[in-house]
Amino acid sequence: MHDAPDLNTLLAYSPFARYLAIEAKIDDKGVLAILPARDNLVGNVLLPALHGGAVAAFLEISCLLQLAYETGATAPARTIDVSVEYLRPARPEATFARAKIRRIGRRVATVHAEAWQRDEATPVCLVQCHFRLPGKPGSSTQTTTQEEK
Amino acid sequence: MTTDNTGKTPDAQPIATPESINRGWPEQLARAMVAGAPYSAALGLRFVSSSPGFGTIMLPWRDDLVGLDGTGILAPGAVTALIDHTCGLAIMSTFGAMAAPATLDLRIDHLRPAAPNAAVTAQAHCYKATRTIAFLRAEAWDVSRDDPVATAQAAFTLNRRGT
Repeated sequence: MHDAPDLNTLLAYSPFARYLAIEAKIDDKGVLAILPARDNLVGNVLLPALHGGAVAAFLEISCLLQLAYETGATAPARTIDVSVEYLRPARPEATFARAKIRRIGRRVATVHAEAWQRDEATPVCLVQCHFRLPGKPGSSTQTTTQEEK
Repeated sequence: MTTDNTGKTPDAQPIATPESINRGWPEQLARAMVAGAPYSAALGLRFVSSSPGFGTIMLPWRDDLVGLDGTGILAPGAVTALIDHTCGLAIMSTFGAMAAPATLDLRIDHLRPAAPNAAVTAQAHCYKATRTIAFLRAEAWDVSRDDPVATAQAAFTLNRRGT
């Protein structure tokens, strides 16, 4: 068993996560990521709704937090791809997210996450991401040859 | 703007009518669409160009948009917003502001990290639209369009009543 890294310390290493003011806490269900409401995250002033790019970035970062929490790795995983589904407009208010690791291989992890606002059972946005995992210290380091999953 | 040697002024821009705004919408509206959304303005997105079916926007490099301290590489999440907004621009430059596009799904492949301290530019192409859905492809690059940092595929809902 590993010690889970302090997630807010990890967030502090990312200027963009700091810019979005993302926070993380651990509750009885696991990692909870929080995107506080801010006027400059709005993408549509008429609705109004948060920008889809802000919610998607938040969910991608929530997946990275879940990976760090479960693997104990402090080296960052690299985003390979992100697939986002927008279910409904996100109101300009606090947004929450939880991620679930669906598979971890030696090199690649598949992680899904959901964002919601007032009701966890009514998500506003879903993502499915693949990440390239950091090499383990001591293992043969960089793979420049063709990768297998 | 074109110039000629006859001393005549170049053809004036046609007067904007609801139809022309809806179809080939003026560049001022395209610029406003990029500068007017709070998140887009906060990220510093810059309008590059638009034409029916296409939109191009640049994300200038900024140290608070970097993914990880010490790398100087723009965060993938910042590129996500750039691509999403560029898709919206491509739709509005085809169908006008009334189309009110909303992202349904967006899939981004991050082919490689952007160069450190480099701006990223994205171009989206709306290659098919029904009355309610627009389909787009987009790519983003730092140095050369031939060597993208990310490619994307998206579907947007839109409202084409009156077009």
